[in-house]
Formats: sequence, C-alpha cells, structure tokens
Amino acid sequence: MNGWTGQILRVNLTAKTFKKEPFSEEFARKWIGGRGFAAKILYDELKPGIDPLGPDNKFIVALGPIAGIPAPNTGKAVVAGKSPMTGGYGDGNLGTRVAVELRKAGYDALIVEGKAERPTMLYIEDDKVEFLPADAVWGQGTYATNDWIYAKYGKGVGVLNIGQGGENMVRYAVVRSLEGRAGGRTGMGAVMGSKLLKAVVVKGTKPIPQADPAGMKKIGHDDLREVHEIDKKTGWSIQSTNGVLAWCNEVAALPVRNFRKTHHPDAWKVDGERLNNARIATYGCPNCTMRCGITIHDDEGRESELDYENIGLLGPNLEIFDFPQIGSLNYLCDEYGIDTMSAGCVLSFYADAIDHGAVAGDFKFGDADGAKKLLGLIARREGEIGNLLAEGSLRAARKFGHGSEAYAMQVKGLEVAAYNCKFIPGMALAFGVSPIGAHHKESWVITFELKQTSRESYGPEKAKKVIELQRIRGGLFEYMVSCRFPWIEVGWGLENYPKYFKLVTGLDWTLDDFWTVSDRIYSVIKLFWLREYPQTDRKLDYPPAVWFDPANADTEGPIAGMVLEYDKYDGLLQHYYDIRGYDKRGIPTKATLERLGLAEEAKAAEKFGSMT
Amino acid sequence: MKVTVKLIGPFVQAFGFSEKELDVPEGTTADGLIALVSIDKGRPKIVTRNGRAAAPDEALADGDRVVISPIYSGG
Repeated sequence: MNGWTGQILRVNLTAKTFKKEPFSEEFARKWIGGRGFAAKILYDELKPGIDPLGPDNKFIVALGPIAGIPAPNTGKAVVAGKSPMTGGYGDGNLGTRVAVELRKAGYDALIVEGKAERPTMLYIEDDKVEFLPADAVWGQGTYATNDWIYAKYGKGVGVLNIGQGGENMVRYAVVRSLEGRAGGRTGMGAVMGSKLLKAVVVKGTKPIPQADPAGMKKIGHDDLREVHEIDKKTGWSIQSTNGVLAWCNEVAALPVRNFRKTHHPDAWKVDGERLNNARIATYGCPNCTMRCGITIHDDEGRESELDYENIGLLGPNLEIFDFPQIGSLNYLCDEYGIDTMSAGCVLSFYADAIDHGAVAGDFKFGDADGAKKLLGLIARREGEIGNLLAEGSLRAARKFGHGSEAYAMQVKGLEVAAYNCKFIPGMALAFGVSPIGAHHKESWVITFELKQTSRESYGPEKAKKVIELQRIRGGLFEYMVSCRFPWIEVGWGLENYPKYFKLVTGLDWTLDDFWTVSDRIYSVIKLFWLREYPQTDRKLDYPPAVWFDPANADTEGPIAGMVLEYDKYDGLLQHYYDIRGYDKRGIPTKATLERLGLAEEAKAAEKFGSMT
Repeated sequence: MKVTVKLIGPFVQAFGFSEKELDVPEGTTADGLIALVSIDKGRPKIVTRNGRAAAPDEALADGDRVVISPIYSGG
C-alpha cells in the first residue's frame, strides 16, 4: 500500500504495552488520514458518556498520506480525542517534526490509551517504544520540558509536550511542539495531562512508502521553492496573519472589549506594520515555505511568537494595545501550554462579567498585569477563580449566572476566534457549524461575504460557500495532512493536492472524490455529537447570543445599529442543513449517510438518537 | 474633494505608503482612485469605502475613507 505506512501504533499507558496494528486499504481510501482517521477511530472505539479527562478517553496523533513528505508545508499533525471543552469530538492540528518522524518510524497514527502510574514520556523509535519517567519535568513549562528533551535526544527528534496547563487539566490546554507551536485547543493538552503523559518523542529512520518516490521528490522540491518564491513576490510573510488586523478594524470585525465593540482607534498600535517593525525573528514548521510566526521581545525581554489570533484576542479584545504586554501574555500561555485564543476570551469574559455585576472582582479591561496574574492562577488551577476560569467561559458563565452566558463568546463550549461577527452572518454561521465548536480553521468566509455578497444577506450563497470552504479547509488539509496557508494566502492551486496524492499513493483522484471524503468525515463527527448529546437540536449551531442583542449594536461606524437577527440566522442555518442533507436538528439523514458509505455508522447511531 | 486611502498588509510595502489623504476630482470612482495611487489593477484585492465593500464604479464622496486590501483568507 503506497502512500500510507499501513500501520497504527497503539499504546496503553496503564499496562505499559504497545502493538502495531495494520489497517486495510479500504480504511485508508475511505478516511485518508489525519482528522479522518481520528474521527473514525474515536467514533468506533469510545463509549458514549465517558469522561474526557478519564482513562477511557484516547489521545490520537494522526497523519495523512502527504504528511512529512517534502512538499509545501506538510510538516503538520492532527491531535484528537473527546474534547474536555465541549464533550464532543475534538481535534486540532499543529506543525511538528512528529509529522515527519512518526511516518518514518512506520506509523500513520498513534493511539494512546489508559493512564500512566506516574508522569511519563513516551519515546518511539521505529519498532521500539519506551515508557520513561518524566518526573524531572512534571510541573515545568513547555520551554523547559522541550530543552530537557533536546538535551537528552538532540534536536532531530519530533516532540509533543504539555505545560502546567495540561498537567492541571485546564480544559483548553494545548499540545505544544516548539518545532511548530501549539494545537488541539479543544483541550488535547488536558487529555495528555489526564493520562500523566508529559511528552511524546519520536524518531524514525525508514523510508515512507510512495508510488513514485523520484517524481514526488522532484516535484516536491520544485514546489517548495515555487511557493516560497510566490510568497516573497506577494509579500504575505511581511506582516503574516496579522496583516488582517487592520482590515478587521476597518470593516468592524475586530474583537474589542469581549466583542462588545468592533473597532478601536488604538488598533493601529498592534497592526501588521507595527508587528513587522518589532520583529526579531521568524518561525516556521517543518517543510514550511512561508513562515507565519513572527517573534518579538515581550515586556520581560523574552521571545514571544505572535500571530493574528493571539494578538486579537489577548490584545484589543482585552483593550490592551501594547506589543510587549501582549507578547508577555502570549508567552505565558505558551509556557503553561494553554490556548491563547480561549485564554483571551475567558479573560475578556471575566472582565465583562465583573463590569456587568455578574461577579465581584477587580480585574478590568486593559489590565495587563492582572491578566498575567490570572493566567498563572488558571494554569495552576489556584484559588476559586483560577480553578473556575480553567473550565472555560461557558462553565464559568453558568456559575456566575445573571445572564452572563449570553456574552460568553463560545459555540458548543469552545471560544470563538478573533472575528467579531456582530454583523457578519456567514462567518457567524461558520463558527456555528464548525464540527469542533467555534473555530476559524474550518471555514473563513468574511472576504467572500463582503466582496461578493451583500453583508446584509442571509442567503444560500453564504451557506454554500461555508460548505465549500469546510470541504477544503476542514476536510482536505486536515486529512492529507498539510498546512492550508499556501492555498489560502498565496493562491497555490488546489489541483496540486490530487497531484501529490497520486505521486505518493498511485491513486488518480479528482477534487470531487476528495469532497466526498470531507463530507463523510463531517458526517461521522456529527454522529459522534449525536451520541454524546442525544437530545441535540439546532440551537447547538447558534453563535453567541450577544451578537443578536440590539442593545449590543455599535453606536457608530460602518455597522452602527446592526446585529444578527435570530429568524434570519435560523434560515441561513436551514440553507446549510438543506445543502448538506441534514435534518432539522443538524444531523445527517439516513439517505445522506448511505450516500457517503456510512450505513453501518448510521445503524450504530440509531441506539443513541432517532435517525430521519 | 478629499479622500483618505489606507493600504493593508503587503500592499504597504508593494505600493510604498500606508495611509494618505488625497485631493481627487469630483466623481472619482473606487476604480479611478486605485489607478490614481498606482495600485496594480490585476492584483486581487478588496476595496471598502467607510467600512463597507465598494463596487468598482462606485462614486466616492468628500471625506470618504477607502481601504484597499489583499484578499485575506484567514489564518
């Protein structure tokens, strides 16, 4: 079987055992890899209702047929499990040498089960698997842990690790890989922590089986060079993702003051131009052609790597407009191994709740020192407030009461990304129907929405575009597994991906073949949610209530007086369900499931909720 | 009439300024303004006028703020 190694490594931390499990070509073709493998395995193997932070959950690292192959931006891996944030399917992707090394070690995925007796580092080298003590770094942050691992093995290994946030099971703890940053904001770091799994270290020495290795090598290297040249020509990397901050501010889409405002006169202080001026270094993942990570010095002189999401949510969203201060908040999140995006939204929610009298406290918008202190309390789950904010904004809102749930900026329990959709219906839908809770990675429709449709429209053209982008971003790039940036930011053609797929697997697929796989994966994820929430209804796919509140409308600027409208949003959601072949609850119909080759999965789902 | 032009992202380096106020003839359109500031017409872009998308033939008014951005696709 070319393209895949054909094996999954299954490790049990309780029993300290491991086995190599071959998978069939049919499984490979049906689910491809990455998110596809993870969703199918978790659906088949997890019992409904298990505690995501208990030993019955599984931590999966999954790769795809082009992961790790030298070609544009293929150094990425998917991490997955049942999400401690949402209670539904959870995953995330991150740049990491693990994508290269695990494939070279002979595996397309790693499944970690059970719970270790003591803090453990899993070391994988080809056929060898070791369960090593990690007590020396338990309690340490991700930077010190990474240094400890490199001192032991050198920098040629792939590393996934967690900080204090993961150890203490902060529900939005992430998995860190300093070769490429963080991933799994659905709480995959907490899942590792719950298993006392401090780190996974991987070294591989075998060739990855490919149909046409010489052809892939030549085309891969040529394309690496070409994408890099296009990036240099277009200049995308000059401001990287943060170029969009100034634009969001201009079109009233920036999160300011817990998303209460959509723009701010001081936003220019933290825009892409200023970030480029403050740049001290640039970081990328393995096989990267267009490095997106820009580092600056924070207010304590440490290197902190910033992008738009963490600037938007730890900066303007908290009314902080100072790069060294934002850098410091970002550094702490990275050191503790907690998600910068959820952390920004949790802190802004807390300040808003205090502001609105839902809870007593002295934390205010603009208080960078207070925010730093709170991040420490959260990472250590220290004190009543640290422990509560470690649970995320939805759970904190349910504790605070007083209507505060309306301005907890989340969908399905996962906090939204840095796009203020107070009056951007299509992007609000994208957050609403993201299969893991609010996330921008699935579908980003704002520029389409503003350029090619009327902003006021709730028409099917927006639902159709959301689905098109989900198939590409949440589908193709999540199961191949590869970074989406060459396509989305410098226009590297989608037709290149079937080309790479053919070179490695020998299979001649069209893009439409891939979209069927994308739809299949989204459907099995929906079944996972149905199983966990049998009483599920379409309200699960609604964005935060505050975006519908006329009292929250801007009083000036491009969208003064305008907010989302419930009836119209519900109509847009119905367009989405209709195009996808979902019922009124947002669950795929039997006919849809059968069309996607999921008849068996549908039968299994019948036990947990009625199918239409 | 006076309009303010603001460039976004790599357009700042590509076209040599970040923001400037211009005196333009009455009736200047969004497309006309792009030509005036020498922005490569073939380069994909999104143009907004006072925060809302502007059509190429849309006439500008005194005091307008026009933002010209590459087409971001979201990190």
